[in-house]
Amino acid sequence: MNRKLLAISAVLFFLVMSSCNSNKFSTYKKTKALMDTFVSITVVSDSEDKAESSIDNAFSAIEHFGDLINFFSDRSELSSININAGLKEVEVSPETLDIIEKAIYVSEKSGGAFDATVGPLIKLWNFHKKVKPSDAEIRKNLPLVNYRNIVINRDRSTVFLRKKGMLLDLGGIAKGYAADLAVEVLRKGGINSGIVAIAGDIRAFGLKPDGKPWNIGIKNPRQNNDSDEIIARIKLNDRAISTSGDYERFFLQDGKRFHHLLDPKTGYPADRCRGVSIITDKGVFADAFSTAVFVLGTGNGLKLVRETGMDAIVIDSSGIIHATDGLKGRLEIEGSH
Amino acid sequence: MQLQDKYRVAILSAYALALHGFESMLPTPIPWVRLGLANIITLVALVLYGFRTAMMVTLIRVILASIFTGTFLGPAFILSFGGGVFSTAAMGLVFISFKNLFGPVGLSLIGAFFHNIAQLTLAYFLFIQRLEAILIISPVILLIGTLTGVANGIVSDILIKNLLKKDEEKIQNVVQE
Amino acid sequence: MKEAIKNTTLADRLLLLFLIAGSIAGTFIAGKAMSQGLNVTVEIDGKPSYTFPINIDRTITVSGPYGDSVIEIKDKKVHIRETHCPNKLCVKQGWISNGAIVCLPNKIVVIVGGNGNNPPEDIDAITG
Repeated sequence: MNRKLLAISAVLFFLVMSSCNSNKFSTYKKTKALMDTFVSITVVSDSEDKAESSIDNAFSAIEHFGDLINFFSDRSELSSININAGLKEVEVSPETLDIIEKAIYVSEKSGGAFDATVGPLIKLWNFHKKVKPSDAEIRKNLPLVNYRNIVINRDRSTVFLRKKGMLLDLGGIAKGYAADLAVEVLRKGGINSGIVAIAGDIRAFGLKPDGKPWNIGIKNPRQNNDSDEIIARIKLNDRAISTSGDYERFFLQDGKRFHHLLDPKTGYPADRCRGVSIITDKGVFADAFSTAVFVLGTGNGLKLVRETGMDAIVIDSSGIIHATDGLKGRLEIEGSH
Repeated sequence: MQLQDKYRVAILSAYALALHGFESMLPTPIPWVRLGLANIITLVALVLYGFRTAMMVTLIRVILASIFTGTFLGPAFILSFGGGVFSTAAMGLVFISFKNLFGPVGLSLIGAFFHNIAQLTLAYFLFIQRLEAILIISPVILLIGTLTGVANGIVSDILIKNLLKKDEEKIQNVVQE
Repeated sequence: MKEAIKNTTLADRLLLLFLIAGSIAGTFIAGKAMSQGLNVTVEIDGKPSYTFPINIDRTITVSGPYGDSVIEIKDKKVHIRETHCPNKLCVKQGWISNGAIVCLPNKIVVIVGGNGNNPPEDIDAITG
């Protein structure tokens, strides 16, 4: 009988549907204020306790690392390097040594477009008081900015800045590095997928409970209202993404936008882009190269991206979005569908 | 109960179960919000075959669905059970006491309304116990329930009409022979 | 479909109208009630220390490792008016009516609504 058949297939359909629904893995998310910003960790786990404890472990790893490289704390290892600039070498912990080595690597690759010794210039620009330093002040401090004057001794685990007055500022690389550390801690705790987001520096690993990659929104550099906060969406798994934008810390003066992403060569804010997002496997490189490419602009910047095998989304100074071919099928620009 | 009735309850329950399962697969924009598709079957059963059949179908659907998903006697089951029984009872009461005042759409609205009222009350006493939270979400849930209620009512109306037409045709065929 | 709509009784239609009007009115009333229920929570050194309703103007002084910070609530908005930490990013952030202000050197977090920022539904994280 026809009806009977329909009824039986209806019940079967229900059983099949409900069996794929009985997924025991869920996502757990916690947010904490660390490293001068918000850190959000999302993990996929079959137990809330396990999720909680591994997230807490990751938070304390980030906090510990943040204390080592805090530019503003007198007690950090970074401050100790800066205070002893031109005087003597300073012994540091392996993480501090490692991140400085990676900073030098990015500086070399980018021909100095990223430079961790930009500290003296950053100190001149006060984005809180919205005053522009004088050209003379900037010119006076430019010779202090040069990553080649960082001396590392791996055997003794020491760092030395050659010139007095030099200042290391790891703000353009530390959050990405901390995201990598956190992912390592989570993996050791038996977590196979999740997201670590330290402000805009994000590292995704594994897949969501529904087997799909993570969805990351890219902020619109010129947001007008609540509805256009996101300019693009990208699907990520086992990759990191970081964005540098001229809209994070800035002031407007005489119609010109002065923001915190300084070109280490000129001492002035770089004006070739509005925002740069870099997608690569390690958070530390996504973070530092996003600053470098921002300073270089679309031409040399995208060349660097291709040479180093990364992917990028660059929004240039006229608002045009450039994306590398590797993002095909994973990137969705808002308003284009 | 006659054999004919048992057979009918079984088939109606199977349909209701299928719709229930289909619905649980649909993505829900807001947790708690459901289309209540299975209510279409309850409504058809009520109008065509009476209150007893409708209540049986509801009970079988709610209990079997929770056994299949492994939530039997759990919190989701309590909500589903309370909502289902209460809304079927409300629809039945109105249908029997005020015959012909409400059509399927009106009955569906009553069902949706009391389904939500029952669930919100249960949620308050069993899980949330924060009156502000319940009061804030109630209007939204009731509004969405009203909209899905209208849609389900229209579908039920069409179904009932078609089933009645088929029966009439059958009778006519018998007469012609 | 058209026939089904034509088939509705007067009682059906009145009931529909009543339910829609009632729930929309309820949504507005509840929405108004909720916006008044917003709180400003001040966390010091990771621990929630004070909670104030956002609709009552006041000025609070809290102390951290870098000395006192002054938090001001006015016109359903909140800002950090004064602080002695070196970068003063929190003062620069200005007035907010939702979300949060972090002043990390001084270990002070001011949260409005208790939820922090909620990104759009289907997005897991935002970069930028």
